[in-house]
Amino acid sequence: MKRALFITLNEVRMYLQDKADLAFGLLLPIITFALMYGAFGGQTMFKATAPVVNEDGGTYSAQLIEQLDKVSGIKVELLKASEADIKLERSDLLLVLFIPSGFSETLKSGGKAELVFKQRGNGGQEGQILSSIIRGVVEDMNQGFQVRHQVESNLQGKGIPENSIEVTVQNLLDKEHQQPAVGVTEEVVGGSPDFISLYLPGIITMYVLFSLTMSARTIVEERRRGTLERLLTTRLNTGELFIGKFLSTVARGFVQTLILLVLSYAVLRIFTPISFLASVVIALVFVAAAAALGMIIASIARSEEAANWIAVVFTMFMVMMGGTFFQVSEGSVLATIGKISLNTYANEALRTVITEGGSLGDTLQPLAVMAGVVIVGLVVSRLIFKAVPGSK
Amino acid sequence: MVVKDLHKSFKELNAVNGVSFSIHKGEIFGLLGPNGAGKTTTIRIMSTVLEADSGDITIGGHSISHEAEAVRSIIGVCPQELALYEDLSALDNMVFFGRMAGLEGTEAKAQAMTNLELMGLVERAKGRVAKFSGGMKRRINLAIALMGHPQLLFLDEPTVGIDPQSRNHIYENILGLQKKGMTILYTTHYMEEADRLCNRVAIMDGGQIITMDTPYQLKSQIGPPEKVTLEDVFLKLTGRSLRD
Repeated sequence: MKRALFITLNEVRMYLQDKADLAFGLLLPIITFALMYGAFGGQTMFKATAPVVNEDGGTYSAQLIEQLDKVSGIKVELLKASEADIKLERSDLLLVLFIPSGFSETLKSGGKAELVFKQRGNGGQEGQILSSIIRGVVEDMNQGFQVRHQVESNLQGKGIPENSIEVTVQNLLDKEHQQPAVGVTEEVVGGSPDFISLYLPGIITMYVLFSLTMSARTIVEERRRGTLERLLTTRLNTGELFIGKFLSTVARGFVQTLILLVLSYAVLRIFTPISFLASVVIALVFVAAAAALGMIIASIARSEEAANWIAVVFTMFMVMMGGTFFQVSEGSVLATIGKISLNTYANEALRTVITEGGSLGDTLQPLAVMAGVVIVGLVVSRLIFKAVPGSK
Repeated sequence: MVVKDLHKSFKELNAVNGVSFSIHKGEIFGLLGPNGAGKTTTIRIMSTVLEADSGDITIGGHSISHEAEAVRSIIGVCPQELALYEDLSALDNMVFFGRMAGLEGTEAKAQAMTNLELMGLVERAKGRVAKFSGGMKRRINLAIALMGHPQLLFLDEPTVGIDPQSRNHIYENILGLQKKGMTILYTTHYMEEADRLCNRVAIMDGGQIITMDTPYQLKSQIGPPEKVTLEDVFLKLTGRSLRD
């Protein structure tokens, strides 16, 4: 076991000697974090541009656009119909609000006007949210019209000027908006339910898979240098060699993941100290499991290219099937296939801790699966290395 | 070391085909032959890296098939290709392989410095191997094989592709090691090298040993030993030049 640790130390020493490799390894989590922060950080409120085609050009369409523009986070972009159609066709836009000509006239005459949402598929996530917001604004307008019509019909023939009715009704509606009969209060419970806490587990698990590629290359790198054969003529046995390589990959992968977690803890403030420690433990077990799988590839691969390609295929499969960036529905075919992806268990554990506020105790099952992968990976890789002709 | 009827094939190729010989303690034994003769395969089997299809090898009383670990504890191997960590210093390389050979920390460092001194590289101990010349790397390659006080040293073409100065340095080191009682198996396809260094030589061709004796006796078989070379012996026995 002592010799396995020397292998680890030697590997770490070489890593520290290679300045380019070291800089890349340490900067990568910082860059990943910066990109994640840039993409999601600080954007806790929904922000979107609402593409609108105004074919009406009347008073009420202008009023609708003005109301929409006043909604926090929404910016109206006026488009021509032809322009909107092209953008929809190219999927540059997934949802556009069309205000048809005659919209204002119909409303003025007391008729029923229609708005049109043109969308690609279901309009996308942003489109669906925009559509709900627009419907809310339209609902407000509808209420205003209903009240006005009601008041006008009640006061008809009583000699009150139409303009006066309009102003009074508008004042009442404004007052109602400021002091609504039914109010809504937001109470934040636990961590803020923002994009970062939703996506961070996926980013961590995807990131940890670098360890798989690193460990997949360890044996072929020794072979390329010619040192593998030399090592095998010393007192070092294959078990010590594999454990040494495994530990060095775990050390490198864990340091990188730790940087990502510490930055998330310090800057994003989405962890409590306990959930941070739990995430560190989960990340460590996952790094170890990924490294152990990588050792199986290392025992098979005969060249660095082969090691890289096999590792990429493994990684792609695990990212795609493990629900890294989207949650897989329980009972679906994808969920069944995903059971063989390491990411499934890592994501489950990290989401339990980061997103759902669970404890480490709640993640024992996925942790046990990953720990099992570590043991199986190390045993199988060593057996393959010893059994396959030409391994040495 | 006793090698008995060693066989090793790679698919259709009989790389080693019934090789038997023995090496006495304190002897420099040369395994000669052209490229592809089976020398490196024989060394790889003897150094426990490769398993033979059949036959047996005993080193220091330990059977290679049953006591590989005991065998590895008494051998040192200098492979034909450089086997170094180029990003590390010469000293770090040597200490690391010393630890792999079972030495403790201070002992490994002390032995590394002794071996570097032996190779004339003590002043470059902390230099990165990547910046060394080819000859210096060859000397480090040999110095690493000496870590852990091996009783039997395998030197697989240790002077390939180096300058005459480094080559002479290596010759002196090998003879010095023999004086200290080390047993050495030396493979080469430079016949004059074998003539100069080896007590006995075995000439291999096509995976078999075609003759084995002292260089003097082998040369005597075809003419006056001072006028013929081992290359002439090979030509006489195979009808081919070593470089064919």
